Formats: sequence, structure tokens, C-alpha cells
Amino acid sequence: MNQSIIFIMIMSMMRLTVPIIIAALGNMYCLQAGIMNLGADGMMIAGAFGAALTTYFTGNVWLGVLVGVLAGGIIGSLHSLICVEFGGMQNVSGLGLNILAAGVTTFLCRTVFKSNMTPSVKNMFTTPVLAGIPVIGDLLMQFSPIFYIMIVLSFISWYVMAKTVAGLHIIAVGSDPRTTETAGINVWRLKHICVITCGLMTGLAGAYLSLGQLDRFVEGMTSGKGMLAIIAVTIGRRKPLKTVAAALVFGFFDALQLQIQIKNVLDLPPELILSIPYVVAVLALLFGSSKSMDKVNLNPYVKNKYEF
Amino acid sequence: MRIKIRGISLANIMTPFVIIAAAMLITSALIMTTGANPLNAYYHLLTGVFSNIIDTINRTVPIAFTAFAVALGIKVGLFNIGLESQFLMGSLASAAAGAYITGLPSAMHVPLCLIVGMLSGMLYALPVTAMFVGKGANLLVLQLLFNSIGTLICTYFIAGPFAGENPAVAAMPRIQATAQQPNLINGPNKLSISILFVILVAFAIWFYLNKTTGGYQLRAVGDNADAARCAGINVKKYHFWVLLAGGGLAGFAGALDVTGNFYRMYGNYSPGYGFDGIPIAMLANGNPLGMVIGAIVFGALRVGSVNMQAKAGVSVEIVKVIQGVLIMLISAQHFVRFLVGKYIKNSERSGKA
Amino acid sequence: MDIAIKMSGISMRFPGVLANDNIDFNVRRAEVHALVGENGAGKSTLMNILYGLYIPTAGEIEIWGQKKVFHSVPDAMRAGIGMVHQHFMLIPHLTIADNIVLGEEPCKGNRYLRAEAVKQIEAVCNKYDMHIDPTALVSSVSLGVRQRVEIVKALYRKAEIIILDEPTAVLTPQEIDDLGRVLQKLKAMGKTIIIITHKMQEVMNFSDRITVLRRGRIVGTVSTDETNADEVTQMMVGRSVHLGGDRKAVSIGNAVLRVENLHYHDGRVQKIKDVSFDVYEGEVFGIAGIDNSGQKEISEVITGIIKADKGQIIFDGKNITDWQTEKIRHAGIGFIPQDRQKSGLALGMSVRENMILGYQNLPEYKERGFLLNQEAITKNIDNKIEQYDIRLSSPEAVTRTLSGGNQQKVVVAREIGHATRLILADQPSRGVDIGAIELIHKALIDARNEGKAVLLISLELDEVMLLSDRIGVLHSGKLMGILDAKEATREQIGLMMAGGGVEHAY
Repeated sequence: MNQSIIFIMIMSMMRLTVPIIIAALGNMYCLQAGIMNLGADGMMIAGAFGAALTTYFTGNVWLGVLVGVLAGGIIGSLHSLICVEFGGMQNVSGLGLNILAAGVTTFLCRTVFKSNMTPSVKNMFTTPVLAGIPVIGDLLMQFSPIFYIMIVLSFISWYVMAKTVAGLHIIAVGSDPRTTETAGINVWRLKHICVITCGLMTGLAGAYLSLGQLDRFVEGMTSGKGMLAIIAVTIGRRKPLKTVAAALVFGFFDALQLQIQIKNVLDLPPELILSIPYVVAVLALLFGSSKSMDKVNLNPYVKNKYEF
Repeated sequence: MRIKIRGISLANIMTPFVIIAAAMLITSALIMTTGANPLNAYYHLLTGVFSNIIDTINRTVPIAFTAFAVALGIKVGLFNIGLESQFLMGSLASAAAGAYITGLPSAMHVPLCLIVGMLSGMLYALPVTAMFVGKGANLLVLQLLFNSIGTLICTYFIAGPFAGENPAVAAMPRIQATAQQPNLINGPNKLSISILFVILVAFAIWFYLNKTTGGYQLRAVGDNADAARCAGINVKKYHFWVLLAGGGLAGFAGALDVTGNFYRMYGNYSPGYGFDGIPIAMLANGNPLGMVIGAIVFGALRVGSVNMQAKAGVSVEIVKVIQGVLIMLISAQHFVRFLVGKYIKNSERSGKA
Repeated sequence: MDIAIKMSGISMRFPGVLANDNIDFNVRRAEVHALVGENGAGKSTLMNILYGLYIPTAGEIEIWGQKKVFHSVPDAMRAGIGMVHQHFMLIPHLTIADNIVLGEEPCKGNRYLRAEAVKQIEAVCNKYDMHIDPTALVSSVSLGVRQRVEIVKALYRKAEIIILDEPTAVLTPQEIDDLGRVLQKLKAMGKTIIIITHKMQEVMNFSDRITVLRRGRIVGTVSTDETNADEVTQMMVGRSVHLGGDRKAVSIGNAVLRVENLHYHDGRVQKIKDVSFDVYEGEVFGIAGIDNSGQKEISEVITGIIKADKGQIIFDGKNITDWQTEKIRHAGIGFIPQDRQKSGLALGMSVRENMILGYQNLPEYKERGFLLNQEAITKNIDNKIEQYDIRLSSPEAVTRTLSGGNQQKVVVAREIGHATRLILADQPSRGVDIGAIELIHKALIDARNEGKAVLLISLELDEVMLLSDRIGVLHSGKLMGILDAKEATREQIGLMMAGGGVEHAY
């Protein structure tokens, strides 16, 4: 009995952690490049809605994922435009994007579907193609394709940051844009790429929510997961492996609260249980030391051509 | 040559209006994509406002208070985005005090509810404030997390211990008659005395900031915390009290809303007043009159949008969209000002030529 | 071609400022050429143009006789120009190797070949006889080593012309000598070197030729053998300048400040190690030392901004060790902080409001105990503007709009104006034009003449020696010795600044 609980917990944790890991990896690039992203929730919800809407109208899940990714990318581009190109206030922009994306998705949802959620759409909960693999096939197929994409993305991110020239440049640009610019590197192009990549990946995380975890879009379904992703990046000191580890911890608590609700183990109101991941995040922020040598430079670095 | 009106450059004056105009345009575009006619929508928005001016003023109250809270934060150098949950806590507590406490005369019950609301807002702001001032944790992320937690807490109470008489509707019981605010204008659309509080608090904040030594020190902290520290000013004290005051203002606004307007608190009630304050405070640059006007505009938006939804079929959620677009444009304020300045310079040049 | 660099008719206009005005500037092959001028003269701007950081509004550049246009730093680097900036362009938590090769990394496709980078750097180091460890983190090495890293960075990119901007600002006298040796070696290997500086010592010791800039224009170019420090200073400033105030013979009074056995640890390093000294009425006590020897911490402990771990501070007989900053100010200690923009001024507020910053709770500035006494505040600013010749459009002007020199005048006016007993001046002339320095020196000496005590902390040894009656030398948080200013020599002080030669004349 105990074994299967642990097994269920692990499976649940893996599933629930996918959006957080993907979003965390995306935001890692953004933060490492020196741009704060309070708009992670906005990117995610845009992705979730875009994916659900597209799948509803086209019946094609993968197209839905693609549109979800692009939707996140659009939000990312807006953030990039304001923060990198115009040197605007990053916190305000991020917050505004959250509100804007939430507003637009809710508005469209209510207008098109006359309800606060879309009808059920085709989903990608599982990967049937893997069932053919001997021994572990039945186990592997129980995860969404996006789960596997996540694993690939994790590996790529590790490789980029640790082994490539691009990774070195990203760290440089986040610490000291002026020095990096004099080394001949196009600071703005690099920052743009990082922020937009963040948007694309967080959009993917959102698409997973509405296609891989649930089978529809529900208003406000991201409910702070974007913030958890950011916190994971902060705790993981913006290093790929540590970030994934931190995200896994959040996934664990998410799985925990779900199981507690399902099994009705504790006689506590559902809302209190739902708040567990957030409380954990608060505690993480509280006890996570911010006195690290490798602080990132979050000040806007503006091109000379906009002389103000 | 820079045109200046009373020492403020023309570009600075025009920028807020340009931002508002741009927001309207973008929102109109969105409305059009859903097949509705924006002009039609705005027409019904306006008719909705003017047929219901009193309600507009009622809505102005909580929005003005959150704007004051944000403005105070900006003056001390902090960005306060936790107001939404502090507002809800104020509503919750004052609705409870109003509904469950009986036997008090009105002259005591109303102030009690208001104070309870204010204190709960402050209390809810306390953990975040303590963590920020004490340990230097990231204020904004904490506030957003606490916003999420706050919503859950309210849902719990309204579904559980504070459940109302009708199980089908998520709401708290109606507050006692003695807890309801006296009205300036009675009738189906009542105007409670809340509006007087707005004027009082606006004046008090303006006076404090500009005429007192304490206000001077607060502004110094906001301008340059390091220099303030070097000058012997206790920076942490000002951060602490401004954040708590923000919570108090938001909680007070929540109490005003309950005791003056609906007379009960509903579940899933997240009007977003906490977020209206941000664009208003930033566009008005902390000017109290500007903020009151901004609050009236936003109040009008909310009232009118109901009519707009009924008659033109445009969802009330459009208000959130406008909020978002405004905040986005404000974040690029400097750039907008730069463009406006360039436009002015170019038209000057072509005017002279 | 014997002319390495020929800049003709270079002008650089920024909004509101003409930083370089029609400049002609030549540098010969394998010479050490000093570019001098006071703060704000335009020297850094001119060299930034040469290095591709700015595009000049007018003028041409020729390198080795070939016309060049630089749109970016890599353009300049390709022409063989390297620059070592005053504030090092290094990323602290990357390795030295990463920093040196940044932008031109040895790579295979996308893959960064770290080991190869280290090898190439070691080859460059051997060629020029420089010693650095490419695998160390920049954050772990000293400033002197970091400067060497910057030079290797230029050499790695095959620079033939090397520009150094204020290279000696952060070095001890011994490290300055080392740098001189490095420059001579590079010159012997055929490199052309330009140093930007305002320090006469280095100019006369290191250079072959000197070009003087004043207010954005060239004053002239001379051969170093054919001139002397005073002549060059005269060219730099354009008039005879009297620094050091009007010293009067004053009898030393009681001890105003007694610092006893101070210790302070900032969590990483022991910043103050058992420091003791006294400052008397009617004297200037100067503290010399290289940057980061504990000066900032000593000022902040005395003014109550941070608390010492051990030791006491006695002010006019009272133990003020645990007093709050505001109380200390009200008791009569004025404090001119090291960094006026960071700690001295609220740049977004008006000059009028800045003039009482730190003193707003004095009874004379208050009405009914909690309101601002606007009349008194206005009277204060009007007086100070006149006394200190502060240039501004109006007292309501936003402080940010004032020039560096005028901003510093505001801080100095405020602190000296309100200090009744002691003035603690930390780097009062940093980044300030000569005219303002003259005035600040006069104000400090006037205060001394009136019987107040002055504690002066400065990285400019010349300034310390010029203004002080007694000099304490700080090294790594320890007071190496206290000397009589009249008898102390530069060598003596230099030795102590580097950690040797403990002496106590008092």
C-alpha cells in the first residue's frame, strides 16, 4: 500500500512539475540576462488559452501547442520591447503583462465561449507511441509528450549555459552590459533573444496546462505558477540544474496538496491545502539567502540613440 | 526651446493623455476583433455612467484609496502591489464585524467596522512587510504570492465559517442595519458618506508629505535611501510604516465598500481595485487631485462597463484589459515622453519654417 | 609611418555640452604620451572616441597613416587599439581567462574551448613577461592584478596602441612604480602608450610628451624633458590656482574627537584593526591610504551609520559610540560622504531641500514641532548659495541638474555650514573641477582657522599633504603611523601606505 502511494506521488509530482520546470528554465534565461520577469503568469496564461482555443477550432493538438508557444512569445516580445529596447520599468511592465494577458484571455473566453472556461478539447495527456517499448513502455506512455520535451529542454539548457559561448555571453550580459558591449557583443540582441525565449518556453508551459494536464482552458488557471517558476530560478541561483531541482520541490508540494485533497487525509478546508505551495514559496524566499556574490545587474541599459 | 507651462515641460503634461489615448485605441482594436463596434460600446459605456452617477462616485472611493496607497509607496521608493488582498481582508473582517456583532448603536458600530477593516488590512500586510524590511526578501514576489493566498483565505471563510443564509450563493450574511453607513443621498442609489473620507485622506496625505518634517524625511527616503541613511533617517522605519499604511488604506477601503455599498461580502469578489490604483498613482504622479480624478474615471469605467455588456455585448472584462494596457504603456513612460518631445520639437521646427 | 595616431578637428557634442572642441592630437610610434587636464576637460571623451565608444560629431582619425572610422569598439580593436579603463571592465564572477577572451573566444562551432583559451593567454603572458593566473576568478584578485589583466586583455587582442585611463587612481606608490616598469617594457617592445591622468607625479615620471586639454580644447603639446609640473598645471587650469586655502597660525586646542581602539569586521574582512587617533581644535588631521583601506568604515563608525565591534569614540568628552547618526550631527559633527550622489544628496529633490538634509530636525527648521519652517529653510539656502558661489538656475532647481562641482559644493556648504565642532570630509574633491576644489579647500581651512577640527580623508596624497597639520597613514585597516605634516615625506608615507615602516611621531 505504501509503495503505491509513493509511486502515485512520484508520478503525480512529475506531471505537476512539468509546467514549473519549463517556465523556470525559460525564466532562467531572462533573469540571467538581467531582466526581471513578473509577467511569467501572463505568458503562461496566454499560452494556455492560445493552445486551447486553437485546438478547439482546428482539432489539432500539436497546432494548439504551437500557437500556445507563440502566444507566450508575443507576450515575451512586448516585455522585451519595453524593457530591453526602451529601457522601461521592468516590474511595472511585468505586472502590466500579467493583468493584460489575464484580461485579454478572460475577455476572449467569455466573448467566444460565453463562459469562464472553454469546452473540453483534444488533449495530450499521454504518449501512446511509446507503448511499444518493451518493459517500461507502459510506464513511459503515461506521460505527456510535453514531458519529454521538457527533458530535452533541460538538457539543452544545461549544455548551453555550461559549455557554449552563448552561455558565457548571457552570464556576461546580465552581470555587466557595458563591459560586454565593449567586447563587441550585441547586448540588446542577446537580451531580446533571452526574453523572447523565456516567453516561448513559458507559453509552452501554459500549453501543457490546458492540453497536457487539463483538457480545457479555465479562467485564471495559472494561479501563480509563474511566480513559483521565478522563485525556483532565484533559489537555483539561475543555474539550470539547481533551478530544475527547486522546481521539482514545488512540484512535490503541488502533488502533495492534490493527494491530500483526493484522499481526504486531513480534515482541512481545500483552500488551505491549495495554499501549501504558495506558503512553501514564501518560506523559500524568506530563508533563501540573497547575499550571493553573483548578483545580476537588473538596471536598464539603454542604447545611445534614445537620448533621455 | 522647450515649452514650459508653470515650469513643467509640455511633453510631461501631454504624456499621460497620450498614454490614455493610446490605451483607448488598443482596447478598441480588441473590441473590434470580437465583431463588436467599439463606438457603440463606448456609447453604451457613457450612457451607463451618466444614468448612474451616484454609483460611479461609490466606486470611486475604494479606487481612490488604493491609488493613495500606491502613491505613498512610490513616494517612499517602493512599489506596492499587494493591495488587492489587503482590500479583501478588510472587506472580510468588516463584513464579519458588521454581521455578527449585534446590539451596538450605529454611532459605534460603523466606526468599529471601519477600524476592524483597516486593522485587518494592516495585519495582512504585516508578514510581507516584516519579511521585506527584516530580511530583505523580494517585496514584489512576496506580495503577489500573498495576493494568491489571500484569495484562498477569503474563499475559505465565505464558504465555511462565514457562510451566508443562502447556500446557493457564495456570500456572507448581510450586515446589521446599525453597521451600515449613514447616507448623504438616500434612495435606490445611495451615496454614503464614504466620499467624504476620500477628500479627508487625500488632504491629509498631501499635507503630511509636503508640509511636515516627517513627510520630508519620507520623500528623502524615496528619492535616495542611501543618502537618507547617511543623513540619519531611519529608512526601515519609513518602509515599514508606509507598507502597513498601504495595507490600512486598502483594508479601510474594503470596509467602506462593505458598509457603504453592498452591505455584504460576496465570494469570488475580486474587483481588481487594488490594481487600478497603480496606473492612477503613476499617471497622476502622486498629485492628490489627479488621483481623485483618475479614480472617478476608473469608477466610471466599471459602472459603464456593466451597461456596455448588457447593451453592446462587450464583456466587463474589458476593464482589466484597459488596466493592463495602461500599465504597460506607463512602464514605457520615458519612451513615450521621448516620442512626444520629439513630435513637439518637429512641429515647432516645421512651424517656424 | 612614425605617427601612430593622428586625430584632426575632432569635436564631440553631447546634449548641452561640447566635450571636445576641434581637437588636433598626434601620438608617435613607441612613445609614452600623457594626456592631461582637470576633471571634465574632455580627456576621457577624446580617448573613448579613439576606442570606438563614441562617434565624433566632427573630425577624422588616422592610424598609421590610414584613415579610419570606428563605429564600435571591435572596429578600434581591429586597428590595434586597446584601452584600460579607470573602472575596470571585468566581470567579477567569471574567470580571468573568460574575461580576457570574451567576444573572441576560441570555439568549435558553439562550444567554448576553455582549455584552449587558458593556453593562448599563457602564451601572451610569457611573451610580455606578465604574471597572472588565467583560471582564477576576477573577484578573488587584487586591483593591481586586475589592472594587469586588463593590459593582457589588450595584448591578447594584438593591440599596438594601448590607452590607460587614470591608471594609478587605485594603486599604492609601489604598484605605481611597477606599472611604470611595465610601461617601459612595453615601450621597448615597440608599443605606443597613451596615459590619461591628472596626477603630475605620473605625468613627469612616465611620459615622453604631454598634451594638455582645457575645457574641451587643446592648450598645447610639450616634451616632458623641457617642462615641469607647475608649468603643466598652469596650462591645465589657465590661471594661477591657489589650492590649500589660507592657512593661519592657530594654536591647537582641546581634543574634539578621540577614537580609541576601534575594531570592525564587515562579515567578510576585518576592516578596522585597532585604530586610535585624536583630532584637536584648530587642526586638520589627514588620513592617507589607498582605496579600501578602511576609510569608509572609519567615517561611518564615527558618524554612527555602522557600529564598531570594539572600541570607543569620545566627542568633546562625551562617549558617542552608540549614538544615532542624527544625534551626532546635531551635536556638531558635519560629514561629507565619499560618494555625493550615492550618500550625500537626494538628487530628485530641490537644492533648497537638500541643503537641510540631515538637519531637518533641528529646532530652527521646525514649526510647532512637526511642520517644516519654510522661512528658515529658505534663508539657509539663500545664504549658502551666496557664500559658496553655487551655480544653479534657482533654489528650487532639481539637484540632479547641477554640475558635479556644484553638487559637491551643496554638500560641503551644508555640512561645514552646520558643523559647530568637527568636520569629517571623506574625499571632498573627488570628481570636482579645480575651481570648486579651490573653494572647498578654502572652506575647510577657514573652519580650521576658526578653531574647529577637521578630519580629512583623501586618496590624493598631494591633497592630504597640502591641507593637513598631522597625517595618519592607513593600510589594510591599521593605522601604520602618525606623522607631522611639515616633516613627512612622500616616500615615508608611501611606504606606510603599502604596509611597511611603522612610525609614531606622536
